[in-house]
Amino acid sequence: MSNYIERFTAGERVLHWIVTASFFTLLLSGLGLFSRLFNGYFTLFGGGGNAIMVHKIAGIVFFFSSLYMFLKHRRDVSTFDEDDRRWIEQRGGYLSREEAHFNIGKYNPGQKLFAIFIAAATLILGVTGLFIWAPTLFPRWIVQLSLMIHGLMFVGTVMFVVVHVYLATIGNPGTIEAMLYGDVRSMWAKRHHPKWYKEASGENP
Amino acid sequence: MTNHWIDLKNSDVILIMGANPAENHPVSFRWIMKAKDAGAKLICVDPRFTRSASKADVYAPLRSGTDIAFLGGMISYILQNNLYFEEYVRNYTNASYLVNPGFKMPGDLNGLFSGYDPKKRSYDPKAWSFQKNADESVKKDPTLQDPNCVFQLLKRHYSRYTPDMVSRITGTPKEKLLEVYKLYASTGKPDKAGTSMYAMGWTQHTVGTQNIRTMTIIQLLLGNIGIAGGGVNALRGESNVQGSTDHGLLFHILPGYLPVPSADLKDLAAYNEKYTPKSKDPQSANWWQNRPKYITSYLKAIYGAKATKENDFGYAWLPKLDPGMNGSWLMIFDNMIKGKFNGFFAWGQNPACSGTNSTKVRNALAKLDWMVTVNLFDNETASFWKGPGMEPAQVKTEVFLLPAAASFEKEGSISNSGRWAQWRTAAVKPLGQSKADAEIIHELYQKLKALYVKEGGALPEQLTNLTWNYGFKRADGTIRAIDTHLVAKEINGSFLEDVEDKPKLKPGEKPPPTPPPWAPRKLLGKKGELAAGFAQLQADGTTSCGNWIYCQSYNEKGNMMARRVKKDPTGLGLFPEWSWAWPVNRRIIYNRASCDPNGKPYNMKKAVVYWNPNAVLPDGKLGAWVGDVPDGPWPPMANEKEGKKPFIMRADGLAAIFGAGMKDGPFPEHYEPMESPLAKNPMSGQMSNPAAKNFSGTGIKEDAFAANDGKFPLVATTYRVTEHWQTGVMTRNTPWLLELQPRLFVELSPELAKEKSIKNGDMVEVSSARGKVDAVAMVTRRMQPFKIGDKVVHQIGLPYCFGWSTPGVGDAANLLTPTAGDANTMIPETKAFMAAIQRKG
Amino acid sequence: MADAIKAENRKGFLVDTSRCIGCRSCQVACKQWNKMAADKTVEQGSYENPRDLTPALYNRIRFLEVGEEPGGVNWLFLNERCMHCGEAGCMKVCPSPGALYRTKEGVVAYNKEKCISCKYCVSACPFNVPRYDSDDKVSKCHLCLDRLSGGMPPACAKACPTGTLKFGKRSDLIADAQATGKQLYGVNDLGGLGVVYALEGPPERYGLPATPHIPLSIFLWKDVIKPLGILGFWGSIGAMLLHYVTIGPKKIDEAPEKEERHE
Repeated sequence: MSNYIERFTAGERVLHWIVTASFFTLLLSGLGLFSRLFNGYFTLFGGGGNAIMVHKIAGIVFFFSSLYMFLKHRRDVSTFDEDDRRWIEQRGGYLSREEAHFNIGKYNPGQKLFAIFIAAATLILGVTGLFIWAPTLFPRWIVQLSLMIHGLMFVGTVMFVVVHVYLATIGNPGTIEAMLYGDVRSMWAKRHHPKWYKEASGENP
Repeated sequence: MTNHWIDLKNSDVILIMGANPAENHPVSFRWIMKAKDAGAKLICVDPRFTRSASKADVYAPLRSGTDIAFLGGMISYILQNNLYFEEYVRNYTNASYLVNPGFKMPGDLNGLFSGYDPKKRSYDPKAWSFQKNADESVKKDPTLQDPNCVFQLLKRHYSRYTPDMVSRITGTPKEKLLEVYKLYASTGKPDKAGTSMYAMGWTQHTVGTQNIRTMTIIQLLLGNIGIAGGGVNALRGESNVQGSTDHGLLFHILPGYLPVPSADLKDLAAYNEKYTPKSKDPQSANWWQNRPKYITSYLKAIYGAKATKENDFGYAWLPKLDPGMNGSWLMIFDNMIKGKFNGFFAWGQNPACSGTNSTKVRNALAKLDWMVTVNLFDNETASFWKGPGMEPAQVKTEVFLLPAAASFEKEGSISNSGRWAQWRTAAVKPLGQSKADAEIIHELYQKLKALYVKEGGALPEQLTNLTWNYGFKRADGTIRAIDTHLVAKEINGSFLEDVEDKPKLKPGEKPPPTPPPWAPRKLLGKKGELAAGFAQLQADGTTSCGNWIYCQSYNEKGNMMARRVKKDPTGLGLFPEWSWAWPVNRRIIYNRASCDPNGKPYNMKKAVVYWNPNAVLPDGKLGAWVGDVPDGPWPPMANEKEGKKPFIMRADGLAAIFGAGMKDGPFPEHYEPMESPLAKNPMSGQMSNPAAKNFSGTGIKEDAFAANDGKFPLVATTYRVTEHWQTGVMTRNTPWLLELQPRLFVELSPELAKEKSIKNGDMVEVSSARGKVDAVAMVTRRMQPFKIGDKVVHQIGLPYCFGWSTPGVGDAANLLTPTAGDANTMIPETKAFMAAIQRKG
Repeated sequence: MADAIKAENRKGFLVDTSRCIGCRSCQVACKQWNKMAADKTVEQGSYENPRDLTPALYNRIRFLEVGEEPGGVNWLFLNERCMHCGEAGCMKVCPSPGALYRTKEGVVAYNKEKCISCKYCVSACPFNVPRYDSDDKVSKCHLCLDRLSGGMPPACAKACPTGTLKFGKRSDLIADAQATGKQLYGVNDLGGLGVVYALEGPPERYGLPATPHIPLSIFLWKDVIKPLGILGFWGSIGAMLLHYVTIGPKKIDEAPEKEERHE
């Protein structure tokens, strides 16, 4: 029995980091557009005009990679079972120091919901972004609404990403390794995703 | 203008009719709005609801070409309701004159006045003569009761113009008519002023002059001439057309409104005899009695030392008209198309576009051997040979286009409608090879003179004898560059010799004893001095003056036209030290009529002038006029010994309600336009102006007419728009302006559009008996059908500012207009003709 | 928004529509002074041309024919341009400091060099005024700032023959107009418009919004979502830190026995 088990293939990992990179590029280039308070971030790109260009390019990359990532994982993230329901009822045990054990598959419901949210947000941000890209081609009310929704989805996405990063790093030590090397320690897999571990390794944890 | 632009602010009621100042004279609205701020009412009468109408308190529509009916109804209204200014009418007009009892009017003669000769299509004015006393003075009835007096005749003549009749002719709703009449007639009170603003909407008709006469009669009845905020005000269509008319633009007048001599006036004495009016009335200033001084000074100005007493001051060299010759615009092209011209200068004009019946003009140009066009831009005239319907290979006319400088590129004066001559300096240098007109004329003169000197020819003296002191002369006599100031000085006039100030002798007065030779001579002016005013001009060749009405404009005190002092002592906006107005800086002409016979202003609040009997003059005499420059220094009329009547340019000193000098009747009468939608003139059996020149049936195919013709059922008119100027040669070449009005359109009512299945923005073809143009339909509620009797008559209108030489703007609206001229002036009738409209494609 | 204007310095227009004759001197004078090329237009059956503001047309006259009955027609003219709002939607959304800015006279001016071509101002303007030029930079009426700095009125006001476009100290213009009993539009709307109208009828008749306001979604974006979003961002980070120190991470127990004990 190996101490490690493969969680993500190299392709999956690369895709994730493309999404991640484009997301943070969007974040940094978009901050200045969101509010004049963050105007300083434009300097990262050599001015607002460039930032907009970067934002547009990163937007295209993010839009397609993020949706592709969702589609690749859509089976794993879009079905919920009885164990997932229990997880949700107990908030995954995150609100208590008490140890909680759930018989979770490859993804827990939080991860699934996050994936679904990001996919939806990608769609919405992408479509509203398109209207904002060329405002003079569309009715004013559509663009005005788009500006609001784009801002709203941006805020929501950033908040979710904060949680995602926390849980994937210090919140759950060992998790990040799945995205870094692709392998996770068996102990981690047994601990967080026993059902998946069983399926993947054939052992009973 | 009898008055001037700023004076509009003094009006109580402003009547805009036959004009559209908001669009064509927008700056005038600065003053109209000031009048409105002070409570004035604005009336606009127009076939179209224009931008002027949008600011009017009362808008009344009328069918094009029915202004006399409209205004005749107003005369009737004023007389029937006793709203006229009785004292003014009695004292200052010829209302009291008795006309010979045999005089008959259109009411008696089915549309004609006495004295009509149908063969000659003209009147014998003797049939309109006044009754005379034994001493040749006119018989009068100051009570205005005699049935043969002008006042009673006027009343009788216009009693036919009832509101119902007028409404049947004009299509104006009766209540609108009465609203306009009532409002305008309110200015008949002594302290109220009504003004009339008119332009080509009145003049360009076969009854054009009579349109204006009708308004003049109204203004006289209401006492609105000579006062602040009154007058009959022609809004000139070009910035300097007033100046060019003053300086002899028209075929029959020399500079200063001196008649062009006809060939049967063999010498200056005959000329003076014919054109110098006489009056035995001591109260008549009869200013034109000075005509000999002005013509002699004019001859001295143009022929200089060559003009001597012995050679009649060169009178023989003056070009003459054949007796009875009509050299007007319409006749130029009528003769040209008949092949009677070899060459033609189209100087600063675009007749292939501006000329009525442009096809006739264009075809006429093709009959020339050569044509010189002087213009800022290429245009439909310069390029007529490659225009629509032309076969360049077939056109023999050799065309020269000389590029001219724009007004901003040269120095000189511009005379506005208010007779102000305003001096302008050049803002920029002329572009490229373009030159100021004066430079082009100068070069032309030098070349022609050299040819005449070398080769001789017919009448070389006319050219070789001209003075030409317009600049620094080189040793060989040529001039380095034209100095406009020298031209202005020549126009002003100067003393050619020392002229003594001889006291004027009254009839019977003995001349003072001849002073001894050593006594100091009292001089009117020294040799070489500029004349201070036209009162100094002499008939003996000791003074020169290029244009007597401009005498004073550039005198020893300097260039009066360049003055820019913003002082307004009267508060009426006269600004006497801003530029200079002819005559003698008078801002409101006939201003003595603004006062009663004692010189007391009828409206104390807006006194243009008043007589101060206590003023002490330098010669010790008492009494002087104060305010605007009066029409002569004499005391007012009540002073029986020295007083003068106010209308000094008339031989009898009175304004003419009865216009015996007119060609088509002493009172205006409604006649239908040459092309009318009606089968019969509702007013009489005489369809159109009986004295207007008739071009139909002369064998020229371009002169087609379609009156009361089902094929052309629409009354059409032409006009200008704010965004383009005249035929648009300058403005079509200014992209900013083409942006605002990009191509020819035609305005029509929703009713007509529905009838013809035309939608707004559709391309339509507008046609007349003479031609057709493509235009974009502008379907607008601002146009409305007229109810003329039982008939519904539709009206359309097109701007005439477009032409084919600018790509994509459409061709000239004047392709549609007829060759028909006013009886008095031969101005073409472009403002009322018949047309048809049809959707294209 | 740091958009305070001193009332005593504020300059503006009073547009008295009752004096306008639709001569469009204002349109042409503006093009001339600002050296802007002509727009290509097409005759569509109206005097009104161009039919909308363009990057090279800072102000224009709307020609409005009202009244359907023959004889009951009227023709209204309205000068349309940047209103220089006291609370300007464009400035509210502009992400580039100095691209759109307020002068001491209260003018909403712009600096094309600082414009980053985001076009947010296009959407945020309550009057649909800003346009983008061929360089993709904002373009609109700036009240002829260059003339103002030289003590001259804007070119349009200078050219207006009838006194329709009155330019001067805003409070004086309003006081004068109110003294003559004129119905004014834009005195208090949006922090007071820099272009106040004296209208001869309800604003809708002229195609003006009855109560102009910054578009609702723009307001929500800038005044609700933005502050809450910033709060949410820091809030979520705070919450995570709090979670870490209170509840703590889910550590993986290294001892396999413990793991097995769970079975």
